[in-house]
Amino acid sequence: MKRFAISLILSTALSMASIAKVATTNDEVAARNTALELAGAFGNDGFKLRDGNWAGTIAPGKPQVLQVNLYAGNQYWFTLGATPAGKKLAVSVYDETGKPLETEPYQGASVAAAGFAPQASGPYYVKVEVVDGASTAFCLIYSYK
Amino acid sequence: MIPIFRRLAGSFALFVLCASAAGETTPLTPADIADAAITDEISIPMPGEFMSALSKLDKMDWKSKFRPPIFTNYPSRAQLALNLGGLIADGYVAIEAEDGPQVKNIGKDVLAIAKVLGVSKDVLERSSSIANFADTAHWDQLKEELEATQNEVKTAMAEQKDQDLVTLVTVGGWLRAMEVISGQVATHYSPLGAKLLRQPGIVAFLIKRLDGLGDKVRAEPSVQAVRQKMVEIDKIIAFPLTSAPSAEDIKRLNAVTSEILKEISKKPSK
Repeated sequence: MKRFAISLILSTALSMASIAKVATTNDEVAARNTALELAGAFGNDGFKLRDGNWAGTIAPGKPQVLQVNLYAGNQYWFTLGATPAGKKLAVSVYDETGKPLETEPYQGASVAAAGFAPQASGPYYVKVEVVDGASTAFCLIYSYK
Repeated sequence: MIPIFRRLAGSFALFVLCASAAGETTPLTPADIADAAITDEISIPMPGEFMSALSKLDKMDWKSKFRPPIFTNYPSRAQLALNLGGLIADGYVAIEAEDGPQVKNIGKDVLAIAKVLGVSKDVLERSSSIANFADTAHWDQLKEELEATQNEVKTAMAEQKDQDLVTLVTVGGWLRAMEVISGQVATHYSPLGAKLLRQPGIVAFLIKRLDGLGDKVRAEPSVQAVRQKMVEIDKIIAFPLTSAPSAEDIKRLNAVTSEILKEISKKPSK
């Protein structure tokens, strides 16, 4: 497991290298580490972590939205990490028409997550926002089982 | 802290009873939806997610989904990239089948193609841990390792300014996963299984990416074979939320994806 953890960290570092929209700045890397710390706990419950991530900057009152494709029958955790400047964050999930969906929310300092089990396969939208705090780098990752 | 999170993760069954932000959140506007980010890295599901959902519906004989080994030294870089994506999807099938030797064989083929493409440095390191995980039956770790391998290959391609190849790896993997899943649903048809194939946003995204390839890459016969069939695939899998494609539709989807994969994995004539 130790070897796997090392390889995961290495892969994280390598995959941050050059593709747009993945964590590239020091703040985004810090945000990713915060998100990974929480997502790692979901792994104990059988959730498999996607290697990819979505990173950037969010300002209060200016949320960002990502499209994902989910499968009915699977369960998902979307985990958002930020720098300490983003004190309180929120993650929400919407269906393809933009209707908000019920999720299991989690909030911590500079980290938030939403658990979701889709009833239908197809496109969904994940919104990330700063609820309290200042503009911050963020990183969103997700796990499934 | 971990036990707290474990309880949190374990309480999925109580979703409907839980307090949720849904009631307090306003819907997204059409502009929000139009401006939503969509990225290769995270918006496109990995074959493992697709297969995980299917496994919950049916008892799967994953070994029956293996395909014969493919050629690994095509002269066209575009064709190599498409097949690399397909091989990575094959890796997920082998993991689902819990077949260590097959995982290792596919790992060797992935490495062979990565070498020809000049992106083998990181894969080489991964391939030894893939072999170790296969030997010790760490199937969940293998899935994550495989995705990490794919992302590293894509990162290396992007560093070499070969963004077109990144798209083709994604397309190849997605097509092979679609072939495997549609084959299963076609043989054991159920409306619930057929609904798993609904992926309208993804086809639109992949078509956009294929249309944005450089002229030379777009002119490659293997790439043309893919592009020509994507519209037909889109018609089958972009069905409305409330309906399910028929068994005939799914058989056609399986036939189309199989045709494309045969075309792109065809050994070049001497």
